[in-house]
Amino acid sequence: MRARHARRVAWIAPHGELLAPPRLTAAAVRLAVQVLFVVCLWRALYASTAVSAGLDRGQAVSYAVLAVLISRIRGLDQFTARDNVLHHVQRGTIVYWFVRPLAPARYYLLRSAGDQVFGLAWAVLAYLCCLPLAAVEPPVSAAAGAVFLVSMLLGQVTLYYLSLVTDLLCFWLVVNDSVLRLVQFAQNLLSGAIAPLWFFPGWLRLLAEWLPFQAILHLPLSLYIGAIPLRSAPAVLAVQCGWCAGLAVLTRILWWRAGMRVAVQGG
Amino acid sequence: MGLARSRTLVRVALRITAVNFRAQLEYRVNFALAVVEGIAWQSSLLVFASILLTRFPAFSGWTTSGVLLVAGLRMLSHGLYTFVFRNVQALTELVQSGRLETFLLRPLPVYFQVLFSALHLSTLGDLAVGAGILAVAVSELEIAWTVGTVTYLACALVGGALLEAAIQTALSCAAFRFPTTRSWANWVDELMLTFGAYPLGILPAFMAGALTFVLPLAFIAYFPAAALTGRADDLGVPAAVATLSPLFGLLAFIAALRLWSWSLRHYQGIGG
Repeated sequence: MRARHARRVAWIAPHGELLAPPRLTAAAVRLAVQVLFVVCLWRALYASTAVSAGLDRGQAVSYAVLAVLISRIRGLDQFTARDNVLHHVQRGTIVYWFVRPLAPARYYLLRSAGDQVFGLAWAVLAYLCCLPLAAVEPPVSAAAGAVFLVSMLLGQVTLYYLSLVTDLLCFWLVVNDSVLRLVQFAQNLLSGAIAPLWFFPGWLRLLAEWLPFQAILHLPLSLYIGAIPLRSAPAVLAVQCGWCAGLAVLTRILWWRAGMRVAVQGG
Repeated sequence: MGLARSRTLVRVALRITAVNFRAQLEYRVNFALAVVEGIAWQSSLLVFASILLTRFPAFSGWTTSGVLLVAGLRMLSHGLYTFVFRNVQALTELVQSGRLETFLLRPLPVYFQVLFSALHLSTLGDLAVGAGILAVAVSELEIAWTVGTVTYLACALVGGALLEAAIQTALSCAAFRFPTTRSWANWVDELMLTFGAYPLGILPAFMAGALTFVLPLAFIAYFPAAALTGRADDLGVPAAVATLSPLFGLLAFIAALRLWSWSLRHYQGIGG
């Protein structure tokens, strides 16, 4: 029974998407155009350069395309659905999250998991289309592919916790759109979504190494293209696990503190 | 529109902006972060452009200061757009929540009310970074700065802002019928952020063509910068067209406003 309820909660946003074929088509068109543009851009950049920052053309294009696809995993438009923490805190309806038989932390987890599984389906489908079109190369080895999958999963867990921290800040700030956009910026820049971190100047790479964002895209993608050798994989996975554990503890504390200070501004 | 009416609108706009500013100050941390965020977003563009410049030197013959001019023009015009027009991207929320219905009852143009429905402080960061980069580019470029070139630069900035406003205003019209179309506006915003700050000449012809004739991004900064630096002959469009980019921005904005007014007349209310 609990599993069935959990599935139903997780299914809310994906179900909404599946009931709107025009939105699905539009999302597919947007993703296809974006992948096409990214492939063209990086191929054009490498037209007169064989290797840059240790990456050859195939590695750089694969990194950039996979960054687009993995970014799609959290691509559901939660703002329009108006069921995020910001909307509920501002309207006062957040109080219902705390009086329902389903704990707010669990509800948030299930909703996010549903979104991410739905996004993952998109990413896998797009990957399977990109592979025969040579828009992305296969992983350097089967072992690298397997490690990449584990690393990507840990990256998604890190992303989930970072999003949760941003949302939970609403309980203190009431308005979090700036925090949200700041975290999105840091995420795009320091995770490797804008350009592979290998191209960044040394000081920026050093900064990225001390922050959790590189665990989302850069580390798994570097394992995939072979820019990080397999012998370094245990250390990479350990760093990712460390961030997941740290953020898990932090969000647990934040949920607990948030529950004690639910502030109803509107409603 | 009469002069008195225009004066009233300016006065109301200033008053609403002041009230919005005070409202933002209520959330002090958010206020401070909003400014930081604007600087950060624009800096990320600069990081990307500098990566392209340093890692891939064969940049279609553009010098560093030339690329900075494209980036500066794009960023500052985007800052101007954000300051005045960004709220058109929030039309989906206004329709969904039913706030648009209240706008229809007030004795002010609806488009005007949408534009001033909120203040985005991140704009201050956008404007600061854009102005800084443009100043560096202008000081390093070997251009004879006359009244004509300075006026052209100013027109290019305004034209770029109007063109971006035209694109987003046209896209926002969809919200009158389909209130969940914000993802399109966000996507176009992202495309313009990614590809707008450097010379499009490095891209394959079909892609540069798409970013000129489908999404007219080239007219915002690339063409005006090429016209200013004497590169308007090799852009895939006649040099005169590239030079007249600011005018194109104005015409596109007028057309988008007409589309917006037409869409509003056919709006039947779908929120609440």
